[in-house]
Amino acid sequence: MDFNFTREQEMLRNMVREFVQKELAPRIPEFDEPEGEWPYDVFKRMGQLGLVGLALPKEFGGNAMGHVALMIAWEELAKVSSSWASNLRGFALPAYAISHYGPAWAQKEIVPKICRGEMQGNMTLTEDVGGSDMGAIRTTCLRDGDDYIINGRKIMQSRYSILDFFCPICRSGEKSYTFVIVPKGTPGIELGRRENYISAMTKTLPVGEVMFNNVRVPKENVIGEEGKGFRPVLAAVGAIGRLGGAGISLGLAEAAYEKALHYAKTRHLYGKPIIELQVIRWMLVDMETRVETAKYFCYYASWLLDQGKKVSEVAKEIARAKVVASETALDVCLKAIEIHGAYGTTPEFGVIQKMKSALDQITAAGSNQVMKRTIADAIASE
Amino acid sequence: MALEIVVCIKQVPDPEQFSKITLDPVKGTIRREGIPSVINPLDKHAIEEALLIREKFSGRVTAISMGPPQAKEALQEALAMGVDEAVLLCDRALAGADTWATAYPLAEAIKKLGKFDIILCGNETVDGATAQVGPQLAEFLNIPHVTNVTAIEFTSEKSWNVRRAIERGYMKVALELPSLITVLKDINQPRLPSVIAIMEAAGREIRSWGCGDMCLAENVVGLVGSPTQVVGTFEQEVKRAREIIRGSEAEVAKKAVKRLKELGAL
Repeated sequence: MDFNFTREQEMLRNMVREFVQKELAPRIPEFDEPEGEWPYDVFKRMGQLGLVGLALPKEFGGNAMGHVALMIAWEELAKVSSSWASNLRGFALPAYAISHYGPAWAQKEIVPKICRGEMQGNMTLTEDVGGSDMGAIRTTCLRDGDDYIINGRKIMQSRYSILDFFCPICRSGEKSYTFVIVPKGTPGIELGRRENYISAMTKTLPVGEVMFNNVRVPKENVIGEEGKGFRPVLAAVGAIGRLGGAGISLGLAEAAYEKALHYAKTRHLYGKPIIELQVIRWMLVDMETRVETAKYFCYYASWLLDQGKKVSEVAKEIARAKVVASETALDVCLKAIEIHGAYGTTPEFGVIQKMKSALDQITAAGSNQVMKRTIADAIASE
Repeated sequence: MALEIVVCIKQVPDPEQFSKITLDPVKGTIRREGIPSVINPLDKHAIEEALLIREKFSGRVTAISMGPPQAKEALQEALAMGVDEAVLLCDRALAGADTWATAYPLAEAIKKLGKFDIILCGNETVDGATAQVGPQLAEFLNIPHVTNVTAIEFTSEKSWNVRRAIERGYMKVALELPSLITVLKDINQPRLPSVIAIMEAAGREIRSWGCGDMCLAENVVGLVGSPTQVVGTFEQEVKRAREIIRGSEAEVAKKAVKRLKELGAL
């Protein structure tokens, strides 16, 4: 058993920290503006540094550094900007699915561009009938000669207004689901309303609806196999979506804890710093312990993937990391707000923003109730 | 014009964690346990400048450091930033060196490397802060040097003008190669290593030279060879006392002057 990070993982952490402190932190007010042009330069920079393709195969332009490395990046980014941590997850989701399941032309043409920060897509999954119950989706994809015709409406789509391609999961028959690449500009794509999520009301992370009205794409655009679209979707959602949610939550929790610790050491009450008060010390102990616990779950699940385990083999560990980390983030952020007193609810102290982002992670990439069902199913079958 | 460029770097405690540093009251040394180490911040600017010079004229950049085995980490980061070679001077006999006994082995190592055109150092380190190693190194190598450099401009293949910061302004100094400069942070913005560069650097071997490799007698290096010895270190203690002087303006002024004289401040 070895709990140490490798030297290259440590160097990666230093690099991401420096990137975040020097290049992202000074621009947070700009990133958090509600309207304006999406910051393409940051995407390009993340590509140039090799962060976008961190865990993607080398043959398609990635760095194949592994899932622990990706966890490090999410954790460090989320300490300062959960929007960019979420975006990193978003860039990697379709890239992961295409890299592992094809089609071959997209592996050569799309994935390298994603890695360089020049092209972005998303996994266009959620509908009003539900995100977690994917079998209930109503968007259809019906074969017409060598093409597919797609019809349907997707909601809660991250970066919906600036994407270069969409990857909707569609119903292609009774218990048959097909996952397809739809390039931007294909006739019949319509952008719907922008949705206001508590942590996604910024120009950096716009979220909204996408409609597909008789959208025609060639059969070569299928990711994986026709009728077996859940396979690439679930692999990417597990390795990138859920673990990303866990990593973002971990970063948020650590940042909130650090802020609370600093405040407790500097804020005086009754003639002494409040960290001297037992009630505050106990809260900090709980926070620190939960953060460290979440850290182990997050890195353990990532490490299992780096050991060559399939996502389906470690679904329980991934779900556990996501539940533990996201519940930790929420709890730690709330305690951090309490320690700050009324200041905790003001944006100047930076804790309330962490709380908003932590709330998002509870339901993102599969609700925690769905995660617990995954864990329960695994336990029951052991 | 392919240049041979040498950058001297030091691994230091992370300045952002300085508040956690304490002094060992017995040994008089800094307690570094649990404090992460980083490349001395100004040395990163020296690395960046070396890389910029190489990009302009072609050549080779060698990073060199003296320190314990873990100082390899700093050299690995220098490799990730883009330097071509890295050498660590690592020997128990080198421990406890003052600036003289640091500059001397560095000079011998640079001679052993062979031809050199430019040597770059950070102006000072955040832990020792003497700013002496660069100039001493230049003296040992018998080459000109300029400290506090904030900009450089090559005037020909063999000469350069450097801008040296001084109080209320700057000096423009012309130098012939080979020469040494020590740089300030205004000179450039150090680059971040890319993921691919990090992965390559982590797998690179770093040469390690001991006193024997540089033909150094052990009595001229390290603590034994240091002409200066630290006899004590003290933590700065700031004590503030408050005293309120009351009365009319004239009375307060008079009493304040009297009190300051009593305290020896006037």
